[in-house]
Amino acid sequence: MTDRRETWLLLAPGLLLLALGFLLPIARMLALSVDGPDGFTLSAFARFFQDGYYPSILWRTVWLASIITAICAVIGFPMAYIMARCNPTLRLWLVMLVILPLMTSVVIRTFGWMVLLSRSGLVSRTIRDMGFGGRSFQLMQTETAIVIGMVQVLLPFMVLSLMGVIGRLDPRLEEAARTMGCTFLGTMRSVVLPLAVPGLVAGSLLVFTLAASSFVTPSLLGGARLEVLAGAVYKNVTQTLDWNFAAAQATILFAGIALILVPYLRLGGNRHG
Amino acid sequence: MSDLTLTGIRKSYGKTDVLHGIDLAIRSGEFVSLLGASGCGKTTLLRIVAGLESVSAGAVAIGGEEVTHLPPEKRDIAMMFQSYALLPHLSVAENVRFPLRMRGHGSRADQAQRVKTALEVVRLDTMADRLPRQLSGGQQQRVALARAIVSNPRVLLLDEPLSNLDARLREEMQVELIEIHRRLRLTTLFVTHDQDEALSLSDRVVLMNGGRIEQEGAPRALYDRPETAFASSFLGAANLIPVTIAAGEAVFADGQRLALGQGAAAGPATLAMRQEDIELSRVGGALRAKVVTRVYLGSRHRYILDLAGQRISVLAANSLTLEPGDDATLSISAGRTRILPA
Repeated sequence: MTDRRETWLLLAPGLLLLALGFLLPIARMLALSVDGPDGFTLSAFARFFQDGYYPSILWRTVWLASIITAICAVIGFPMAYIMARCNPTLRLWLVMLVILPLMTSVVIRTFGWMVLLSRSGLVSRTIRDMGFGGRSFQLMQTETAIVIGMVQVLLPFMVLSLMGVIGRLDPRLEEAARTMGCTFLGTMRSVVLPLAVPGLVAGSLLVFTLAASSFVTPSLLGGARLEVLAGAVYKNVTQTLDWNFAAAQATILFAGIALILVPYLRLGGNRHG
Repeated sequence: MSDLTLTGIRKSYGKTDVLHGIDLAIRSGEFVSLLGASGCGKTTLLRIVAGLESVSAGAVAIGGEEVTHLPPEKRDIAMMFQSYALLPHLSVAENVRFPLRMRGHGSRADQAQRVKTALEVVRLDTMADRLPRQLSGGQQQRVALARAIVSNPRVLLLDEPLSNLDARLREEMQVELIEIHRRLRLTTLFVTHDQDEALSLSDRVVLMNGGRIEQEGAPRALYDRPETAFASSFLGAANLIPVTIAAGEAVFADGQRLALGQGAAAGPATLAMRQEDIELSRVGGALRAKVVTRVYLGSRHRYILDLAGQRISVLAANSLTLEPGDDATLSISAGRTRILPA
């Protein structure tokens, strides 16, 4: 009996925070999204799907988040593998290096990218000088800029999730695979990758949700033309003051992410369950 | 013809030398054990043969072909790990098929047939669809063995495969390994720290100590005729007693004398006597000693005795009961003692 009470006591602060800081606001948001002058209404949702404008923002949000997740996975997997298998000193340095972007303010980091990616910036100029892109070529205010900026911040989440899982794999499994005729790359594909799926799923989950709900980096690097859903919500809350519509958009974003992530989680669970 | 030839293998990690020039040739179909305490370099040597470690100097040849600098996957070997190293995401049958698939041996149907045969050899053909973690330790071990023999490798490497099993399973697996080896005649290099395993399984035992080969030979020869104090104490619990040789007799520190069957140079030496070769009695033996401790082993007793200031261990039948403090006498047939360098 005391055991159970102690368990509840230990859980209480976390549960309280979750209830007050998450469940309550979410409930309020859901209520707000269906609230109209005459009580319950779905007019805000109807307005969202009225023409192609908002669905195209939703689509861009999901599409960019997917691309960012995929790039983080492709870059993050080899990096996480090396970090899991190298000596502890080197690992410490690499971990520092990986989480360094998280230690700088999002605004400063993003302005840095704006300088590099703008028409006269180093990156755009180099690409022009190498003969790619036209006279007025620049990376600012493109989806590419958003992807570059987001991958830089979100990579640590993918790398650290993968590193945790790969670090727990028995290196003997890889050695065994080598003695059974696997090349190094073959071992990565047939042994490490399948066994790292839980880490890949966890990392993708973090990267995808953070990418889909971010708005500072996309709005600064993408500009007003390339709007994402979180940015649209922000605009509705601060500029048009249409909170009901903002709540509806937030609900759609929330539901959209859940819709994509639940089957993905299943995939990870089944492969290893 | 030898399937595996090691020439002057040296290995150092930084300034530490782990192997000091190992020469070893294993004939086709031979079962050779590398026996030694942990840290003697036996596992490093096995990993060098597998290609999992590089050599600092020396050459490795498998089937007459030099492979010293080839990666593991280019060597015609199979290795069984102490931890079994079964791939947790693959079923038993897929684990066993893995080397065939990776090496591209035969068609799919052919591979399936070979997997089936290998699983029959280890009597696990009914478990083919299970995942490794659904099996007991002994069964996982047999899957690992099936996976090692399925590709019919030129050299089979076994890295302490029995040390994770409990005593009863270990004995069962020993018998199973002997039978499988007799049936398949795979050239086998077996690493162990357990002298019983080495003696019971091998055609030849290579005793290693401090990165060198201490002595090698057939199990019986090694056990009966150890050439060094280390070999003598590692194989079977031998009592090593410092003596002085004079006129064909061993003279103990307290002046007692024991006639020797073999000629030995006069001067200080070490007398080796195995505990099971010594006969203990109340009176009438050639040497006098005092009982220090008695240990009941079930089928017999072990006595710790004081012989000329040295502690020695002797096995005796349960019919004899001596108490600590009693005087006792020892006898040993002249052919069962060995004189080793001091």
